[in-house]
Amino acid sequence: MRRPIAFEVFRYAAIALAVAITLVPIAWMTSMAFKPTAEWQATGANLTWWPKSPTLDNFRFIFGQSSTALIVALERTAAKPILSSLLSAGFGTLIAMGAGTAAAYGLSRFKAGGNLPLALLQLRLFPPMAVMIPVMVMWTFLKLNDTWFGLALIYGIVTLPFAFWLMKTFFDDFPREIEEAALVEGCSRFRVFLKVTLPMMAAPLASSALFVFILNWSDYLIALLLTNREWATIPVYMASLSSSMTGQLYGAKAALGLIAAVPPVIAGIAIQRHLVRGLTFGALKQ
Amino acid sequence: MSSIHLKGLTKHFGSFQAIKQMDLDVHDGEFLALLGPSGCGKSTTMNIIAGMEGATTGRVLFGERDVSDVPMTRRGVGFVFQNYAIFTHMSVRANLAYGLKVRGVPKPEIDKRVAAIADFLQLAPFLDRPSAKLSVNILQRLAIGRSAIVQPAIFLLDEPLSNVDAAFRAVMRTELKHLQRQFKQTMVYVTHDQLEAMTMADRIAVMDHGVLQQVGTPLDVYNNPANVFVARFIGSPGMNLLPASLRETDGNIVADLGAAGVSRPLPRGAAKAAYAQGIQDVWFGFRPEELSLAADSQGIAASVTFIERIGSRTVVHFDAGQAAGKAVFQNDVPLHAGGAAHMVPADAAVRLFDRSTGRAIGEA
Amino acid sequence: MTSFAETEATLAIAADDADRADRRLGLYLTLPAQILVLFIAVFPLLMQLYISLTSWSPLSGRGWWDAWTLWNNFANYLNLAVDARWWSALLRTLLVMAICVPAEFLLGLALAILFMDNFRGKRVFYSILLMPMMVVPAVAGYMFFMLFQSGGPVNNIASAISGHNVAIAWLSNPSLAFIAVAVADIWQWTPLMFLILLAGLLGVPDDQLKAATLLGANWWQRFVTIMLPRMRAIIVIALAIRLIENFKIFDTLYIMTAGGPGTATETISVFIYKLTTNDLSWGYVAAIALVVLISLSVALGIAIARQTKRREAAS
Repeated sequence: MRRPIAFEVFRYAAIALAVAITLVPIAWMTSMAFKPTAEWQATGANLTWWPKSPTLDNFRFIFGQSSTALIVALERTAAKPILSSLLSAGFGTLIAMGAGTAAAYGLSRFKAGGNLPLALLQLRLFPPMAVMIPVMVMWTFLKLNDTWFGLALIYGIVTLPFAFWLMKTFFDDFPREIEEAALVEGCSRFRVFLKVTLPMMAAPLASSALFVFILNWSDYLIALLLTNREWATIPVYMASLSSSMTGQLYGAKAALGLIAAVPPVIAGIAIQRHLVRGLTFGALKQ
Repeated sequence: MSSIHLKGLTKHFGSFQAIKQMDLDVHDGEFLALLGPSGCGKSTTMNIIAGMEGATTGRVLFGERDVSDVPMTRRGVGFVFQNYAIFTHMSVRANLAYGLKVRGVPKPEIDKRVAAIADFLQLAPFLDRPSAKLSVNILQRLAIGRSAIVQPAIFLLDEPLSNVDAAFRAVMRTELKHLQRQFKQTMVYVTHDQLEAMTMADRIAVMDHGVLQQVGTPLDVYNNPANVFVARFIGSPGMNLLPASLRETDGNIVADLGAAGVSRPLPRGAAKAAYAQGIQDVWFGFRPEELSLAADSQGIAASVTFIERIGSRTVVHFDAGQAAGKAVFQNDVPLHAGGAAHMVPADAAVRLFDRSTGRAIGEA
Repeated sequence: MTSFAETEATLAIAADDADRADRRLGLYLTLPAQILVLFIAVFPLLMQLYISLTSWSPLSGRGWWDAWTLWNNFANYLNLAVDARWWSALLRTLLVMAICVPAEFLLGLALAILFMDNFRGKRVFYSILLMPMMVVPAVAGYMFFMLFQSGGPVNNIASAISGHNVAIAWLSNPSLAFIAVAVADIWQWTPLMFLILLAGLLGVPDDQLKAATLLGANWWQRFVTIMLPRMRAIIVIALAIRLIENFKIFDTLYIMTAGGPGTATETISVFIYKLTTNDLSWGYVAAIALVVLISLSVALGIAIARQTKRREAAS
């Protein structure tokens, strides 16, 4: 269909505005991350949108180099929180994907565990805040507080619904004829699952795992409640980048924020095709 | 009612030329079938007439009016889609009323016209049913009714019978033809099925590779194909074409079929004119139905490859030296696979085509 | 000689065996997920119920199993009913939902409509517009925290546009803080609506849109009579997802305002969080959490029942 020129002009104008609004916060943080102390401390009329003398000082600072301008060095560097975020989100993804994939296959093929879908939907519905009291009590009891594996375990449970629903829709779409052919060849059901189905599902598995990883990596509240010092994750640690002495360390926060923001954005673009499926629990497969 | 005129139409999709150059006039009130194999550009032509796609160059006229730049919303053609595109979230009644409603026709008038068209198309019992689960013949009538209710001057049908099973198709064909007579609209009907085109259309436009090959009445297209493509495409089986060279013997022009022998003297006018122009290499064409058995050493000498006997007729597959062909007989014939056959086409049935251009060497 | 019946019986047994093996494998496969759900759902909920009936706190010096000694005759639930701070947190949460979700829906729908057909640069713009939803919400919180400082870029832009020096203290004014939080939420989650609604729009059958156009429907008529009804299920899903997620709003909000100034932006999650970490009145928190959980479950149950009923009515 031919569109009038006026519509095209309007479309580009509207999209340009939306893109600008989308990018301003991201651009601002990126700019702050590369500003020297004097620039990120500037306010009001002295603000600069573009770093005048770009520097990596903020990144050096969060990894332990003392700042001459601030006359401080960090007591704890960002290295451990980054490690904590990686470990907890990574192993959380492993747990969710392992349990979720197996259960999805069981349900998709053998109609086992009929109560699971609804239970998992409900799990997703609840605000994590509302189940945290017993979790905190249990985690104290099991000595899982302030450990990366304690965090990974709860992440695995919280994102299990996503892993399960995503993989279930993928298994539902997977042609059974292929499995049946292997069964006729004398493979056991479980071997077929391991040796035939899973390898052929490598791509959906990878995108589901990335999706789940983004969700785990994005958590703030649970880490805030279950970690405090030793294994604080990036967002929790970020709050410590200010004090009564130094004030808000915007440059350092921006630098760390950038480090935290980059992996999920890249992963998200990589799995763009499956985002809708993941977000709608497979109700929409586009 | 309105005639349709396509003038110098071309359509490119990137580097692909869907329509190379097309001029076509559809008369007022005519039923024209646009016939061709899939990918020949017939659906694109239809979409351009409806305004769904713009032509790359060329004009579309409805009567005197140039509608090339009129958007599809206001072109006002009735269109029946291959899958009918029924609004399945609406009732049958809402589907029928749609075109009137969006035009702002007052409610009593809508009710009246819906009732009238439903009556006419025998849809009255289904009016308040949801349209999602109706049988295909009702869906087809609904699709036609939905377009017909706004009384378009032009009706376009895009392979409306391709989703219907073979048994039902005959019924639908009659029904469609009947409807067209009632509505008296200009109808363009896209199909790849020559039987549909032959039985329903006033005229047939044959397309191939984005080029209009021939326009004519069904019999005209059948009897006097304009070129080799039409000759082979129309008819089931298509026309036999044997390579031949023209030569003059005793003042008569004959076609030398090589190993298969020499034809009888050809009718004078066209063959002679062609020969005079220096055209020697031709296709010697004749319908399989126009063959009769001849005595040995007469007619076309061929060897029989196999024979299909299908009750009412007998199809003989033969090999005539440089080309294979088929012969259709109304009765059984004393031939057998592997044997020799001598057959002769009726003089009036012989058609010649220029082998270098593929065009018919006609009376004109 | 084996009779026909015997052969059939053997076959039936074999099939039965295979069936049983399949069922067992299905059970094994779903077991880990079942255990995890049990671990997070059933046992903790029982514990939550138990604690909610007491005034137990981690500072009470007793293990949680001894909480019965602090039984308080449903005082937690009775207090909740008259706790003004709870009711205002609930209302505030609903207000956030009432502002953010419709805004995200309308903006997302408008963008989706612009992206319905092809144009130059579509893929790049699409990828850019999806970025906010992938930014870690806590980081987004810091972004907007920086943007809304009184000496920050938002005021800077406002100054440039208005020509005066604007120095609004966004985050320390109760209603402005509310707006800032809503802006951050809309910025982050409009892309999700856009993504889902665009998928929905592209799923509307092209033939039907063309048929409507040929029947004389203009764009708006097509939108109302074909696109919206066809997208109904998807719109319900998109709204449901955002309503549920928005109800839990915490990360961006807590980092930007910590529920402040005062309790001006305190939503349910922030309220519960503060009770948990500052007041340490875990018995009370458990009671609130249970009330929230039960209300949500009932709401979900009603929604699913209605949906099923509608589907049955439609078929």
